[in-house]
Amino acid sequence: MIASMLILPLIGAVAAPLMGKKSGKLRGICLRMFTLVEMALALGLFLGVLQGKEFSLSLPGMCGLDLSFRVDGFRGLYALIAAFMWAMTAQFSKEYFNHGENHGRYACFTMITLCGVMGVFFSDDLYTTFVFFEIMSIASYPWVAHEETKGAMRAAATYLGVSIACGMVTLMGMFLVWHEIGDLSFAALRANNGNAALVLPACLTLVGYCAKAGLAPLHIWLPKAHPVAPAPASALLSGMLTKTGLFGVIAVALNLMGENQIFGHIMLGLGLFTMLLGAVLAVFSINLKRTLACSSLSQIGYITTGLASAVILGHHGSLAAAGAVGHMINHSLLKLLLFMAAGAVYMNTHTLDLSALRGYGRGKKLLHVLFLIGALGLMGVPGINGYASKTMIHEGLVEIVHEFHGVIWYSVAEWVFLFAAGLTTAYMLKLYICLFWQKNPDQKLQEKYDALNGRDMTKRSAIALILSAIPVVILGILPNQLLMPLTRISAHFLNHHEQGDVHFFAWVNLKGGLITLVIGTVVYLFFVRKVLYKREKGYLDRWPKGLDLEEIFYRPVFCRFLPWLGCGIASFFNGIPDSKLIQVYIPRVISGFLSFLDRLPESRLFTRGLPGVIVGITRVFDELVDHAMLVGREIFLVNRRELRRARNHNIFTYLASVIAEGIHKMIRFLLPNRWLPHRAPTDMRYGTYVTNAISFGLLLCALGIVAAIIYVFIRTGT
Amino acid sequence: MLLLICGLTPLILGGALPFLKIRQRRSRMIYVVAGTLLTSLLCAVLIFSEKEHTLELFRVTDLLTCRLHLDGAGKVFLAVAALLWPLAALYATEYMRHEKREGNFFSWYIMTYGAAILFSAAANLFTLYIFYELLTLITLPLVQHERDKASIRATRRYMLTLIGGAALGFIALIGLSFFGAGDFIPGGKEIAGGSTWVLWLCMLGFLGFGAKAAVFPLSRWLPSASVAPTPVTALLHAVAVVNAGVFAVTRLLYYTVSPALLQGTWVQSTMMILSMGTILMGSVMAVREQHLKKRLAWSTVSNLSYMLFGLSMLTEKGMAAGLGHMVFHGLMKIILFFCAGAILVQSGRTQVRKMHGMGRKMPLTFGAYLLAGASLVGVPPLPGFISKNYLETEAFSLGGALPIAGAVILLMSSVLTAIYIFTVAFPAFFMRLNPADGEGKFQDPGAAMKVTFVVLCALLIAAGIWGGDVIRYLNGIAGGILS
Repeated sequence: MIASMLILPLIGAVAAPLMGKKSGKLRGICLRMFTLVEMALALGLFLGVLQGKEFSLSLPGMCGLDLSFRVDGFRGLYALIAAFMWAMTAQFSKEYFNHGENHGRYACFTMITLCGVMGVFFSDDLYTTFVFFEIMSIASYPWVAHEETKGAMRAAATYLGVSIACGMVTLMGMFLVWHEIGDLSFAALRANNGNAALVLPACLTLVGYCAKAGLAPLHIWLPKAHPVAPAPASALLSGMLTKTGLFGVIAVALNLMGENQIFGHIMLGLGLFTMLLGAVLAVFSINLKRTLACSSLSQIGYITTGLASAVILGHHGSLAAAGAVGHMINHSLLKLLLFMAAGAVYMNTHTLDLSALRGYGRGKKLLHVLFLIGALGLMGVPGINGYASKTMIHEGLVEIVHEFHGVIWYSVAEWVFLFAAGLTTAYMLKLYICLFWQKNPDQKLQEKYDALNGRDMTKRSAIALILSAIPVVILGILPNQLLMPLTRISAHFLNHHEQGDVHFFAWVNLKGGLITLVIGTVVYLFFVRKVLYKREKGYLDRWPKGLDLEEIFYRPVFCRFLPWLGCGIASFFNGIPDSKLIQVYIPRVISGFLSFLDRLPESRLFTRGLPGVIVGITRVFDELVDHAMLVGREIFLVNRRELRRARNHNIFTYLASVIAEGIHKMIRFLLPNRWLPHRAPTDMRYGTYVTNAISFGLLLCALGIVAAIIYVFIRTGT
Repeated sequence: MLLLICGLTPLILGGALPFLKIRQRRSRMIYVVAGTLLTSLLCAVLIFSEKEHTLELFRVTDLLTCRLHLDGAGKVFLAVAALLWPLAALYATEYMRHEKREGNFFSWYIMTYGAAILFSAAANLFTLYIFYELLTLITLPLVQHERDKASIRATRRYMLTLIGGAALGFIALIGLSFFGAGDFIPGGKEIAGGSTWVLWLCMLGFLGFGAKAAVFPLSRWLPSASVAPTPVTALLHAVAVVNAGVFAVTRLLYYTVSPALLQGTWVQSTMMILSMGTILMGSVMAVREQHLKKRLAWSTVSNLSYMLFGLSMLTEKGMAAGLGHMVFHGLMKIILFFCAGAILVQSGRTQVRKMHGMGRKMPLTFGAYLLAGASLVGVPPLPGFISKNYLETEAFSLGGALPIAGAVILLMSSVLTAIYIFTVAFPAFFMRLNPADGEGKFQDPGAAMKVTFVVLCALLIAAGIWGGDVIRYLNGIAGGILS
């Protein structure tokens, strides 16, 4: 069953464009048939679940890891709602896509997205959720880019960028969770519920899902993408794709982070902020679909607030959790209706500008009724579905106020909630009165609009719209009989108790609704009509031009600064091997050093300097010896007769010379004559002096050694 | 013996091509395709035969012996080459019509196949080194095929980096052989003592063999080599040659020395930091680059370091994930390059900015590009997701600062990959042709290229479905190493 529901859209994705090659009609039939069959299957699945049957499927080894699927009450319900929405938009598409091109592409990616959405809702572990979530994110890109205008391409780029970047953060968080607990199945998450070590991984995991859900500050893609997408796609984007994000939020927030106060408060803050921001943006918006898109933002804020209250209240929070789920269901259905109604307007007028659309709906009874139902539902008027779920979320907040009695911040939160709900009334009144009550100042245009009365929609589109409106009304009239059972079967997935019946139409609850309606009417009358509207000019765009988070923060940072920084660093590193330092300077230093070494043997230092020094030193010694010789000769080798004549000798030198001469004579006497050198003449050359002197020195040395040896013998002898 | 025949067949076939004097272009093309097919068949026989194929070619000393042996990891490398070569040859038959000196080109092209086969079957570091050099030298004429200034410069850089790198590898080879390591044993040799030396040698070897895998300081050659004809950039510089670098590093880290020896040392940290840096640098440069083929080349640089990052984790799953990415990346990147080549041939456009709206005119080409690109980004049912997922999982289960930083970098790189892939693919489908870019008279390429696209895309999808089995097989190979 599950497998067939996953594969069927893929077959459709191939079949529809192929059929489209033959004729557009066949493609339309193909698309409608596939979505209807899918819806029938989903209905069967849901009924099966209601009877207590278990559906599960696991595909080990797919995508490298195991994919596992399971259907319980909540997931079966949401699969049914998704299939219903797809079937209704497919019916509506026939007329909407009468003109333009690329219908094959639209059909193909719509079906792939359906497969992704089904996969997300059936998934039984975070890994499977992520796999299908990514398929869905990428496959829904062509929706946003469908019109191929500049604005559409820009919005689509933002959408894709946010999806992919935040998806990667989610993957990171998932790995961290896996690192901590070793398993990503929802059962394992529930087993680790409230683990304080997992706050950071859980927050990271939530980034991708929050971005898809449109939670501030990651909402930037949402108000841009919805208006440019074709109306059926906007209905699905707003009604269903944001809910897949919320599916991930529920899985992580209620199953993994239940009762974690820090986490709950972060979410509460984000939820309230988103709620208020969306509502304010919607009040200021002058574009029909943009208003609805900003309204989606605000409603996502409600749902998140409900979930956050459930986390904060822990096991007392079943009312808030039920409210959140109820509001998810209601919002899906409401946005389906409203966006298709907006599509019905757009396909006739080809404009979304509120000023130009004034008076379009005058006299179009069917559209009037349908739009009114949607508007009242969003406003939270008792009797239409939005009221019940809003009341429950409000009750959740009130419980928090009671629980943390005396903390002013929670009371502020409650008033923020009421104020945002009031703004919802204001912007829906703005749309409703603009479309159906005001008269267009341009007479011709008004006549043109009036001429369309009765044939502004084909029967098929009208039926699709009526079918979408029916559940809105029924759920609203019988909240305890229908909406509450739906929240009760979701309780298991929400990890909360089943919530009993609530007295929706008791005065306490009606009072809250009434306050918001009063606030809304006051804002409408005194702000929208007085400040944002001039009769001649129509609706004025009073929102400050520069105040766009995407333009003032995300794009400059992520499209200018970070690429600049990253490219700078990368090209710096990349340039290192090619830089002058590596290519020129270092080789130059090395080769310089080498060639220096190479030339060293030929350098002046080696050829002149060093030899010069050595020669100088040796010459010094040479001279020294010569001079020593001369001095020696002066001292020792003088004639006795000469010496006597000389007055400058003292007795010691005289004696020394006498001894020396005596030795000389003794040697002459002892040795044969030819062994001895001739007595040197007084003017003999230095060379001869040297030899003489050295022989003399050696002689003295030998004598010294003999003396030393004798001394040693004597010492040892004694 | 079959091993040698298998390796020599393309060398002989390629070498004979210039002497055969084939006049007709058609018969030459048949010769080329049939030749590569024949070789691939021989390879298939090799891969699927149960017998151990071992062969000693010659012996320099006892330490340096040239020996061939085909084991599990070698079979994986060989299988990728054998699968893609005939397809690339088929693609080249149509592509090379637009280039000069076809005969010359195909001769070298076939011979490279032989070098790759012999490389995959090397049984020790010495043999690996010989065929590593052979692979470098045989591809030189292919890189400078155009013989213009750019290609000559590219060739110079190619030669300098790869032969210089091989020199570092040679130092490692000789040094390790003194420690008795060199033969490829699963799990490598336990070297006792002298570990400082061994660490330095491994570092040198990683850098040297990593040159072919374009690791950071030696990465510039790859983008500049993209001036070569597309079949060369597609098959050699995205698959065969660069995979040879990754494969050689695998052999070094897991088969020559024991991975346990390197675990937790500065060598492992350095390898990780280098590969992480290269991943980021490659991706960022790819985003910056406007020339399509160069952009893809930078992407290859980045993806090769994914594999090196996997290998540098030094665990069996890290190795399996790294080699898995090698297999899958080869498949994805060859498609991407083929698309770039088809775009170049059909329209003469190389700049990314001029490709707006071309997807409508060339739906098959850009469809294949989008599919392979989505896989490279890591869109789930496609194989790129599987191998990246395994890399991430392994990095996280390893824990520690560096592996987790690496995992974060892998994710960042995935975002960058999405940017550089989708900024080509999406405007091609969703925007209009800009008249300022010139005439819009072009269409999908001819039959040969179409067939390659279809077959490769079918292979890619099949890899997505049975990718888990590939990784399991690789795990089986790696399991023998670190048990």
